[in-house]
Amino acid sequence: MNHVLTIAKRELTSLFFSPVAYVVLGLFGFGTALLFLAGFAPGAPAEMRNLQWSVLWLMIPLVPAISMRLISEEFRAGTIELLMTLPISDTQVVLGKWLGAMGFFLTLMIPVAVLVAVLGLNSNPDLGPILVGMLGLLMVGGLYLAIGTFASAITQSQIIAFLLTTAMVLAFSPLAVLLARAGWVADHPWIKQGLFYINVFGQFEDFAKGIIDLGRVVFFVSGTGLFLFFATLTLQSRRWR
Amino acid sequence: MIQAEQLVKWFGPTRAVGGLSFAIPKGQVVGFLGPNGAGKSTTLRMLTGYLPPTSGSAWIAGHNVLKESEAARAAIGYLPESTPLYPEMRVQEYLDYRGKLLNMSRGGRVRRINEVCDRCSLSHIRRRLIGQLSKGNRQRVGLAQALLHEPTVLFLDEPTAGLDPNQIKHFRELLGELRDKHTILLSSHILTEIEKTVDRVLILKEGELVADGTTDELCGKVQGGSRVLLDVQAEAGAVQAALGEVTGVREVEVIPHDGWCRVEVTPAGKDDLTDALTLKLTEKSMPVREVTRRKPNLEDYYLQLFQENDKGAAKAIA
Repeated sequence: MNHVLTIAKRELTSLFFSPVAYVVLGLFGFGTALLFLAGFAPGAPAEMRNLQWSVLWLMIPLVPAISMRLISEEFRAGTIELLMTLPISDTQVVLGKWLGAMGFFLTLMIPVAVLVAVLGLNSNPDLGPILVGMLGLLMVGGLYLAIGTFASAITQSQIIAFLLTTAMVLAFSPLAVLLARAGWVADHPWIKQGLFYINVFGQFEDFAKGIIDLGRVVFFVSGTGLFLFFATLTLQSRRWR
Repeated sequence: MIQAEQLVKWFGPTRAVGGLSFAIPKGQVVGFLGPNGAGKSTTLRMLTGYLPPTSGSAWIAGHNVLKESEAARAAIGYLPESTPLYPEMRVQEYLDYRGKLLNMSRGGRVRRINEVCDRCSLSHIRRRLIGQLSKGNRQRVGLAQALLHEPTVLFLDEPTAGLDPNQIKHFRELLGELRDKHTILLSSHILTEIEKTVDRVLILKEGELVADGTTDELCGKVQGGSRVLLDVQAEAGAVQAALGEVTGVREVEVIPHDGWCRVEVTPAGKDDLTDALTLKLTEKSMPVREVTRRKPNLEDYYLQLFQENDKGAAKAIA
């Protein structure tokens, strides 16, 4: 566990060293503030639900930008050789990388937290659903970053890792919904159910309403675990290739 | 300490290493030689556990590299070929990071970081970003991280690449200090480097071991004895003809310069030709201002081994 934290800390520090981090932070902060202001008016409901949905959309292009360099950069620079010849396991490397990226994701949530505080100063919002919604965003972030970690273990190229992650993340949300409505799917209810099940936006809905459903939590935790496992397998596969 | 048994590595249809076996006892410093693409780096990568061999096995300090991978990796210090480091980290921060992942205690890290920084002359740049260091300094950081946990086995892939002559001299001194504590396998292109620092030389060719022995043993296998170098004042053709007449001469190479000729004579056998050659020149009234006898060195052996037109002979000599 110590090793995981050591790797995570290094990853987080190095993320802040790259310009990408500041672009992502800037865009995210600016985007959320704009969206918040759009619904910030006297008489409007004191809630964050709309903002949380918007943040969910913002995450589709921005989260892959955080994760794209995690492992691919190690391959490109050759530092992977020194990392993998340390007496640590592939799982520790993957977990450390993902945790470091999660640390950065938490930083991204700071602007959202500030907006909650602004809302709290101006009105009397029900904090329960807002906090549960934030937890939901964290779950989605964890899953997206796990997908990103997996993608960055596949390739040396950050751009390919970025595109792969975005494609997979899209497949898990809007695309799944669109596909579920396709004509041919109607004849196969299990495909339809499956598509609805993997729809991240659908899974997020309860969190946005302020409900913590164990099934939803299991979906995100197991999805995250699955992709981190894929990432570990990808790293290990170089031993059989 | 280091043992390789029938190591084979294929990359797709290309064979990088073919059936490599050797054993290096504790405390030996071994040089790994061979042209580019001979499989030196691939072999080191297999020994460090980074790449699995296609077949065969290897042991480091008694641990199988694949089956007891983490124990084997804990025993090694490794400097890869291009010294890959994190440019965004500071020297000290990087060494501390490595130390943590190597299970070193806080006190142990502080002590060892001080020691390796001293030893590798990094003390004055400990707070600098690695990305801003010169190639030579980066190389030293690479060496420092390899030494950090006092590993029993050191693998150094081209440790002197990119260093200036002064730094190479320092590195050689450092290697001399390290030889008591570590078993070292280092690869290098610079033959004189290897010759001066190692107890034993392994030469690879197309993924196979073609020579294994001490520098003296290998130099003894060079065909012909000591070469004779002369500086003669005469016309090139005349010198060539005169020295060619001496019995026991295999080859005469003449390079004219400023009215003088630089001559290198290779003997056919082991006999010393110095006397016969100088006598001949005196007889022909050709002034000589310098005579040097050069014993065969590793480079002669290496060149002989890799002479293209006698491919088969390379193996026979080894």
